[in-house]
Amino acid sequence: MGSDMGLIVKTTARATIPLIGIFGAYIVSHGHLTPGGGFQGGATIAGAGILFLIAFGFGEMKRRYDHHLYSALEGLGGLAFLGIAMLGMGVAFFYNTLWHSGPFFNGQPGTLLSAGYLPVMNLAVGLKVFAGLVSAMVAIAAYGRWKE
Amino acid sequence: MMLPYLIIIPLFGAFATPIVGLAGRKAREPWAIFITALTLGVAAELFYTVWKSGEILVYTLGAKSPLGQGVGFPIRIVWEVDLLGALFALMVTFIAFVAVLYSSEYMKHDTGLEKYYTLVLVLEVGMLGIAITGDLFNFYVFLEIMSIASYALVAFRNDTWEGIEAGIKYMFTGSLASSFILLGIVLLYGQYGTLTMAYLAKMIAENPTFTAKVALGLLAGGLLFKSGAVPVHMWLADAHPAAPSSISAMLSGLVIKIGGTYALARLAFSVFGMGVSTKTVGWIIILFACATLIVGNAMAIIQTDMKRLFAFSSVGQIGYILLGIGIGLAAYGSDVGNVALAGAIYHTVNHAIMKALLFLVAGAVIHQLGTKNLNELSGIARKMPVTSFAFLVGAAAIIGLPPLNGFASKWLIYESSALFNPFLAAIAIIGTAFCTAAYIRVLFTFFGRPSERVMNATEPGKAMLVPMLILVLAIIVMGLFPWVISEKVMIPAAKTLENAGAYVTALLGGA
Repeated sequence: MGSDMGLIVKTTARATIPLIGIFGAYIVSHGHLTPGGGFQGGATIAGAGILFLIAFGFGEMKRRYDHHLYSALEGLGGLAFLGIAMLGMGVAFFYNTLWHSGPFFNGQPGTLLSAGYLPVMNLAVGLKVFAGLVSAMVAIAAYGRWKE
Repeated sequence: MMLPYLIIIPLFGAFATPIVGLAGRKAREPWAIFITALTLGVAAELFYTVWKSGEILVYTLGAKSPLGQGVGFPIRIVWEVDLLGALFALMVTFIAFVAVLYSSEYMKHDTGLEKYYTLVLVLEVGMLGIAITGDLFNFYVFLEIMSIASYALVAFRNDTWEGIEAGIKYMFTGSLASSFILLGIVLLYGQYGTLTMAYLAKMIAENPTFTAKVALGLLAGGLLFKSGAVPVHMWLADAHPAAPSSISAMLSGLVIKIGGTYALARLAFSVFGMGVSTKTVGWIIILFACATLIVGNAMAIIQTDMKRLFAFSSVGQIGYILLGIGIGLAAYGSDVGNVALAGAIYHTVNHAIMKALLFLVAGAVIHQLGTKNLNELSGIARKMPVTSFAFLVGAAAIIGLPPLNGFASKWLIYESSALFNPFLAAIAIIGTAFCTAAYIRVLFTFFGRPSERVMNATEPGKAMLVPMLILVLAIIVMGLFPWVISEKVMIPAAKTLENAGAYVTALLGGA
């Protein structure tokens, strides 16, 4: 291969990538309660992808990365965001109908299942940011010096 | 209420384009055309509603009322559409529809088209958002959506150095301008604690502080940057020619106006109009307008690159629009100011149509011949008569020949500037003289003796000819009823813009 890194880096990456992913998922899902949210969490998860790209090289990344899939996922994230914003169209665009009238995500403020559309929107934004950032990094790697 | 769909439909189209693209290569173009046509329909309906009722539509995002709970001032993001915003939304959707229709053939040979159509739709979302928003930070967000989409589109053809260089230059200058605008917004928020434009207007009228004036300076500076006024026009002459022609049509026809002159007029009249001396602000804009008029049109004469010539001509035409806005501010409240402002609004719409047509013609020539160098294009009229006819109409309209649409709007600007200050009228006429010289030169090239390169040229396909003919038709029809359009649409639009009090009371009630 030639473009991947040494054994130590690869072993460490194997150990840390899942942890980074979990931490990112935590930031996304607690976006309405703690600092952070969809964008920050999505960028953290994308950090796991970028670590994979750097540690294992562009060739390995290319085998596991499907451009159409990521492109579609990014579109899906945007569409989900827009769809949730339209749920309350009866009152207004971006009306938080889940919070005002349920049926879910209308729990006690401060608990995980509260804040109406915010957690769902965070998930959508997280998906979009993750897919977009990983795609951008793969594109940069493809144009850059990392030849196979 | 159709208003939110003006944003929802193109945004939905943009996000869905990558997924639609999975269905096959042929699916993207019909999808983009369908979405832009639907948006055009919504904008036409919105324009008709606003024009007929003569009222200002207010739409609150996320709640029933813009007011906060237990407080007497607006805290929500609002969209506020008066006749001017609705008119410009209609203009944006119309040109975007034509440009996308044209792209279906013009861009056929390029790769990565799902990105192209996504970016075009995002660009449209940004411009529509600026036209309808009533919240200062929301305005900034839409401005950035529009700007970033246009940076990427300028550099879309990344196989040549020209596109990448222009894209990077555009991004640097554009980001600098955006920072000025953001800093202006930050100062206003720090001073008054609100971002709602109508409420801000009321606060500034009650207490016009020095900070507010500094903020106005920063905002005006950033927006003049974005509209390509001299002396900060250098990015425009690189960015607009380097983009694909369908994008040049949108950049020159729409982006520099919505994100530049329209935003400037909206802020100067609706937000600052009751607080600062409109005479001073107006004269500052007039000074920039005069420089822009002369330099833009004069630089157009010496270009040998056809698209660069059109880009410099856009700089010159922005000068007329700024002149109209400047006189409208300096002679605020008088008939002269009203006529000048109506002329500026009218010229914005006319120039969007004319310059879109001219760039589409340039695109057709590039597509068929592979060059935009005027020295190699001699005698193109024999082989591409329809394209040349479209160019003839566009050039005559931009010079301001009487039976076409450019005449009426330029006349309103000349008339009002002569009444306001004859010296300004003289400058405007000199600008037109330069403009005429530049276009006559291209005209002679088109209708001159055919060169070898031109001999085996053919007309482009239907998907490129039809959009050009739609625009030709629009120019001729608008040219046939100039004073009706002026009386029924442009003068009322100028009146709503001047009436800052109505803009405030539409949101805050009769208080």
